[in-house]
Amino acid sequence: MSGTDMAAVVQRWRSSLSIPDKPNEWESKRLLNSLGIAVPPGVFIDAGSCLAADSDVFVLGTTGHCAVKVCSGDLLHKTEQKGVLLDVPESRLPDAVAALQKRFPAAGILVEEMVPYRGGEIIIGALHDPTFGPAVMVGAGGILTELYKDVAFRLAPCTAKEVHLMIEELTIYPALKGYRGLPGEADTLALIVSKVSELAQQLIREGCQLDINPIVWSRDRWVALDVKAIISGDEITRSA
Amino acid sequence: MSTREDRFKKIEKLLNPESVAVVGASNTEEKVGHIIFEGLTRSKARLYPVNPHEDVISGHKSYPRISDLPDIVDVAVITVQAEKAVDITEQCARKGIDNIIIVAGGFAEAGDRGRALEERLRAVPEHSRSRILGPNSLGVFVPENSFDTIFVEHGDRSLAGGGRVAFISQSGSVGVEALGLASNTGFPMRAFIGLGNKIDLNELDFLEFFGAEDKTDCVALYIENVEQGRRFLEAAREVSLRKPVVALKAGRTPSGVSAVSSHTGKLAGSDRVVSGAFRQYGIQRAFDDEELCDAAKTLSYLPPARGNRVAVMTGAGGFGVMCADYIETDNPRARLRMAELSAGTVSRIREKAPHFASCHNPVDLTAGVNDEMFVHTLEALLEDADVDILICITFFAPHAVTDRLIDRMAEVITGSDKPVLVFTEYGPFTDTYLKEFYKKRMIGFPSLTRTVRAARFLVERGRILSALGEPP
Repeated sequence: MSGTDMAAVVQRWRSSLSIPDKPNEWESKRLLNSLGIAVPPGVFIDAGSCLAADSDVFVLGTTGHCAVKVCSGDLLHKTEQKGVLLDVPESRLPDAVAALQKRFPAAGILVEEMVPYRGGEIIIGALHDPTFGPAVMVGAGGILTELYKDVAFRLAPCTAKEVHLMIEELTIYPALKGYRGLPGEADTLALIVSKVSELAQQLIREGCQLDINPIVWSRDRWVALDVKAIISGDEITRSA
Repeated sequence: MSTREDRFKKIEKLLNPESVAVVGASNTEEKVGHIIFEGLTRSKARLYPVNPHEDVISGHKSYPRISDLPDIVDVAVITVQAEKAVDITEQCARKGIDNIIIVAGGFAEAGDRGRALEERLRAVPEHSRSRILGPNSLGVFVPENSFDTIFVEHGDRSLAGGGRVAFISQSGSVGVEALGLASNTGFPMRAFIGLGNKIDLNELDFLEFFGAEDKTDCVALYIENVEQGRRFLEAAREVSLRKPVVALKAGRTPSGVSAVSSHTGKLAGSDRVVSGAFRQYGIQRAFDDEELCDAAKTLSYLPPARGNRVAVMTGAGGFGVMCADYIETDNPRARLRMAELSAGTVSRIREKAPHFASCHNPVDLTAGVNDEMFVHTLEALLEDADVDILICITFFAPHAVTDRLIDRMAEVITGSDKPVLVFTEYGPFTDTYLKEFYKKRMIGFPSLTRTVRAARFLVERGRILSALGEPP
């Protein structure tokens, strides 16, 4: 994708947001999807709507278990606010949706398949550095990411080759090279980080941040399980 | 907008001026203007003291004002305090002087009044051909021509031999103290530049200049904030294809991360992005002044390592063991490993080694070592194709090791295309030996950690060259 194509994709996406400059998880995942980064199969339920009966099968996929999450650009810390239900079996899905809708009546609900995965959880991030501008990060992800601090940064955009050197800095690098039979997917991860760096170059202005955490190796591809995009920096508001 | 060539010509004049005016030059010994003027009498430049209250300063006719000078000087050094310095800078610009060094502090770092003065200074290069170094600049020192505007002690005699490291420092004292210390054992300096508040000339100007000229083979920087971040990095990448760039970036800028923070924002702090960006653009990062000087000296003298396999030779077993431990310790700069010596190398070393010596890496020649054995082993290790770097642990205490070894080592080491680092300790004589090494163009350190750290810089440099050299 060229820089202008990326700019156009980002522009279109931003003008489609339900709350300007406050993308919800579903919308952020649509953006990743349009760049060729996989996300779990799922459906978005508008505030006040019901889960359509025929979407159950699509969502549940082969695992039979779902993640049910409150999904609103106004709620960035959904886990802390008890807005996430994991491993919900098919039989409990309508109740789970109803329970979250009751707690968050003004918000949408995202129902996704709990996809199976192998290997470690990875985080990919982007932010705006005050001196150097847009930058990307990759490292050990999951809920302990801030404890491990096993991450590396580069400025955006960066080539897959540059990303590769960045991945080699990580303590978990061997885990991406087939350590103990884990999927050796450093190369494919590098391509995705490079793609995110192109996105960062277009999207990330002062005050903006992006977390893709975790992204995991699932059914022969990298799948972004959770995404948080903060794009309501001052600069954005001014230039929009 | 001036051309690159034009900008370079002015910097060339700043480093090698034919004529210099010192505003505030004085016969009063404790004045900065006196110290700087006296220092400049060692250079070959024509000197013009400017001081309305004196007729003659150190045998030179003094001029009342800049406008009275018979000559358009290449450099004006302004040693008077902030407010006056601004007036005089404007006079220098009207006179058409290319380079103005402003020593005084008391500008933006000193509140609103100082900021207003700094604004006036900023206007000068925008509206004239003059370029300003400073304010709050410690000045310039070029060993080659003894041009020295620094008014504090900085080991000038030890540095006078000159060399090929361009040292650019935003902080005066960090730069000067670092060099003072480094000069105890020798430091090869092409030029020292004190950037100060950098209202005009900044690290980018000097990085480009020293990056392009032949007299420099390593650029070392101490910086607190980077002007024109991306342009600086782009320039550094270009320079680092030809010569090493080492930077100590101190001072963490506010991260600019908003209150609703992501994991990424929290993990970045503000400093990890800098480390990542430096790696990406071929800048080798140092974290303290000693490391900066060690790295610059090493990278200036030694070729980059082609790989990360280190051979160690010693006459003292304990130091060999410690060295191997340091080598095998993980370090984010570069992973080192102990080289596996070929059978040929081992038997070649054994030919001359004592029968109880260990001829595998680390090679321990024991206290039975002598000059002959030492040089024989050195040669054998350097010729082993599986060795990328050699660390020589050299002690001059054993009776069969003489000072003649220094010359013989130097001959082998400087003739090799592989980097060799020397560690030595000899009580109160340590620095004397290190200085001898330096004179013979060998890089020596008085501690194993510093020696191994220098090896990592050489491996990192090798990796930068191969990463930047290949198309991405």
